[in-house]
Amino acid sequence: MRVSTSWMQQQSVGSMMERQSDLSDLNIQLSTGKRINQPSDDPVGAARALDLTHLTADAAQYQRNITSANARLGLEDQTLSNVTNVLGRVRTLLLQAANGSQTDDTRGDIAAEMVQLRQQLLGQANSRDGQGDYLFAGNRTGTMPFVAQNGVSYAGDDGQRMVAAGPGLQVATGDPGSAVFADIPTGNGRFAVSANAANTGSAVAGASSVSDPNANPSAWDGGSYSIVFTAADAYEVRDGAGTVLDSGNYDASNGGSISFRGAQVAFSGTPDAGDTFALGASAKQDVFTTLDNIIKTLRTPDGGGAPMQNDINTQFANLDQAIDTISRTRGMVGARMNALGQQSSLNDDLTLQYKGALSDVQDLNYYDAISQLGAQTTALQASQQTFTRIQGSKLFDYLR
Amino acid sequence: MADMLSTGVSGLLAAQIGLSTVSHNVANANTDGYSRQLVSYAARLPEGQANYYIGTGVNTVAVQRAYSQFLNSSLWSATSAQGRAGSMASLTGQLNDQLSGSSNLQTSLDSFFGAVQDMANAPSDAASRQVLLARAGGLASTFRALSGQFSQLSGQVQQQIGEAVDAINSDSQSIAKLNGLIRSSQATDGTPPADLLDQRDALVKKLAGEVGISVVPQNDNTISVFVGNGQALVTGTEAHALGTAPNMYDATRLEVVGAASGAVLSGRIGGGTLGALLDFRGNVLDPAQNQLGRSAQALASAFNAQHAQGADLRGQLGGTFFDVAGPTVQAAASNSGSGTLDASIGDIGALSGKDYVLSYDGSNWSMRDTGGNSVALSGSGTGADPFVAAGLSLVVGAGANAGDSFRVQPSRNAAASFSVAIDDPDKVAAAAPLKASAAAGNSGTAVPAISISNGSDPNLFNASSVVFATATSYSIDGGPAQVFTPGQPIVHNGWSLQLGGAPQAGDSFAVQANSNAQGDNSNALLLGQVANLGVLDGGVTSAGRAYSQLVGQVGSAGALAKDDLTTQTAVYHQAMSSQQSVSGVNLDEEAANLLRYQQAYQASAQVISTANNIFGALLSAVKG
Repeated sequence: MRVSTSWMQQQSVGSMMERQSDLSDLNIQLSTGKRINQPSDDPVGAARALDLTHLTADAAQYQRNITSANARLGLEDQTLSNVTNVLGRVRTLLLQAANGSQTDDTRGDIAAEMVQLRQQLLGQANSRDGQGDYLFAGNRTGTMPFVAQNGVSYAGDDGQRMVAAGPGLQVATGDPGSAVFADIPTGNGRFAVSANAANTGSAVAGASSVSDPNANPSAWDGGSYSIVFTAADAYEVRDGAGTVLDSGNYDASNGGSISFRGAQVAFSGTPDAGDTFALGASAKQDVFTTLDNIIKTLRTPDGGGAPMQNDINTQFANLDQAIDTISRTRGMVGARMNALGQQSSLNDDLTLQYKGALSDVQDLNYYDAISQLGAQTTALQASQQTFTRIQGSKLFDYLR
Repeated sequence: MADMLSTGVSGLLAAQIGLSTVSHNVANANTDGYSRQLVSYAARLPEGQANYYIGTGVNTVAVQRAYSQFLNSSLWSATSAQGRAGSMASLTGQLNDQLSGSSNLQTSLDSFFGAVQDMANAPSDAASRQVLLARAGGLASTFRALSGQFSQLSGQVQQQIGEAVDAINSDSQSIAKLNGLIRSSQATDGTPPADLLDQRDALVKKLAGEVGISVVPQNDNTISVFVGNGQALVTGTEAHALGTAPNMYDATRLEVVGAASGAVLSGRIGGGTLGALLDFRGNVLDPAQNQLGRSAQALASAFNAQHAQGADLRGQLGGTFFDVAGPTVQAAASNSGSGTLDASIGDIGALSGKDYVLSYDGSNWSMRDTGGNSVALSGSGTGADPFVAAGLSLVVGAGANAGDSFRVQPSRNAAASFSVAIDDPDKVAAAAPLKASAAAGNSGTAVPAISISNGSDPNLFNASSVVFATATSYSIDGGPAQVFTPGQPIVHNGWSLQLGGAPQAGDSFAVQANSNAQGDNSNALLLGQVANLGVLDGGVTSAGRAYSQLVGQVGSAGALAKDDLTTQTAVYHQAMSSQQSVSGVNLDEEAANLLRYQQAYQASAQVISTANNIFGALLSAVKG
């Protein structure tokens, strides 16, 4: 085939340009370390890389959320731990106060310390986080939740702040003060026992419980009942209308337990005929009222008798409910931090996976690229050499 | 011996012509479009004797160019295809550069939604709200920057269209002029001059690179050149100019027209630079702008909807967060009636990336997309019952005449108009405006979830209680008994209460304002979920996905154009090699020819010298 000299030259030059353009592409790839420098380098890969970058950013944000949630939960846990200490001290003091050897004066001293403790507790319940938000105000974080005025009232709400810790996973980062400090059940959590103020005997209601509802389906029904001692060793159980539902013998030396309809109350001491104990479903009482009641009881003049013992026992049960609530809340906080920790390591795993995938999609394989660089350079040199050779052999050169 | 002398002279002259032709070939070895020329010789008529003939030398019959019509035609069409591929690759390359630059929408989206979540972590913190607004501003400016880059590219394309049309017109004029010269030379000399033909072919090749053409040779050695489907560029010695004219719907957009006829050619031009420009504008850039706009609309629509479900720091319902333009409606310049068209987005999930033309035939309206496909309209086009198609809701005003039409571009200008509507950080609606709670003693399993169905209801924030008399009947605030259908929300005072689970007789639910709840982040969490919320394409595609689709779309166009360029370049090289193997100058060949003619010249000179010697010998013999 005939070959046009100028076209041959143009083609040689063209192929050198092509090699150089390939080399320039390789140069860009090698200097950025990326295989995709323009969407057109790999359209599917470029779109996939965007999605993966988005997923990585999402996971990083979840980690930020978890960090912030952990800080909040850590603060809550710390505060609740302080609260536990305060309530523990209250309990110790109450145990001391229940001791028969106390006098009005020593009880007054104990009450004075309790007033301090109540103040501390109020401070804890109104504590704020680093941003000045109240920890236990529900969603009303700008409102002081526990206001001491004629007792303590709750001004927060029941809202609970959540955090997005992972795709589709939200974890609570706090508990409203209502659940932690305010809405604490009285008594044993199911029912509460209280002695009639007019009781004259020395009978004292102690521990109470509800028998296993699974074993006894017709168990505690949440109604209001009264236990009336008809004699020092006999009692009747009456409902609200005064109808006698049950009766039996009371024997203090033999444990003194009275049980009916799944409820069980331990009595000690000797009742007088006509002494009455009311038994009703648990109500809600905040921890401050419990403390106030304790202080009031301890300050009762000429105390130490069965009425004070009964009151102390009632408040003891309430205090234990409060301590229980706090420790349950702490348990939940721990469980949430645990969940966040697990999600965090899951997010880390995902991030690693996304980054790996992203690297697979867009990063350059240096071994490939460098071997290509060698091949392309050789090709360019070959084109150049061929060009000079061909250009150097012309028939005209010999016509001299 | 006079014969010998004249035979020698004829050889001498023939060799001279050969030598000049070789010199011409060598001189034009690098001339673009030059076809090598060949000399053809023929022996002169012999002198007849009684029973034999004596040769009388050589005649130069013709100097012709080495030429193949077929190979040239293939070269022209390859040039058109390569011109188109080259321009397309460079235009899509520019677009790809813009998308691989710093304005990465996905990064902006991620940092915006990151700020939303940061705000959810500290909803009452003024700083986190301020950062959110700043990020929202950043996101809006990314949308606008991308859109601005696209518009700039569109402006460049427009300018290049004008330049291409000018170049085409100037080339057609030159071709027409050469047609005239060739025709008259032919008339004078009987043969067309090779060099003029070469010049004309070179111009045709250049023109083919600018626009796809068809060439029809005429009997008088002129050629006619046509573009598109039959618009003449050159007929005989006449050139017919192309021109540009405003689009009938959009005066800022230029279309290619026949300058004399005014007929719009834009859709019918393929091949060449001009074909690539029009193709790029209509099939790559416009859809890219639409897709970016769709992404902006999806984000604004989903985010605004969720924002309106929330309450700001002042307890007010969240207002519009992002402003974005809706569909653009343009009336045709030719409309004679006074009809109007209002378009709005009815269903963002059904929104396509296409543009539409709505036209009136005197009794009915019909709609077509840019591809010319008919789109079914439902509804009657009134305000109460608008036309509904492709996610659009269209209301036509009276007064349209038959033949009137409107163009609707649902998303074209959305990204350019994207902006943040609020500047007060307190107005970010992070909290829930209402809270619904089940009463403590409820025996059913129903869990209430509340949302806003009508934010302008004056009683929205009034406290209400919903009490179930039976499992299927309830009353609100002691009102009349109403039937409860499981799964259906209870709507009252502008709110909508959805009960998950089954309520039972005696159950009650309280709805009240979530007052003073500056620490509530429940709406902020939902706003954060908008990042991955499917909005477009029937609720499948999120705003971010729409952007990665755009990148994929633009990337594919770029990759396709690159591949096409490689292919077309190979085809062009092939065509050029074939054409050059016939018409190109090979210097070695010319060197050999040079020797050949030099030798022939020398030999003829020797013949003359011999004739002279012989004549001299004769003279001296006579003298002798």
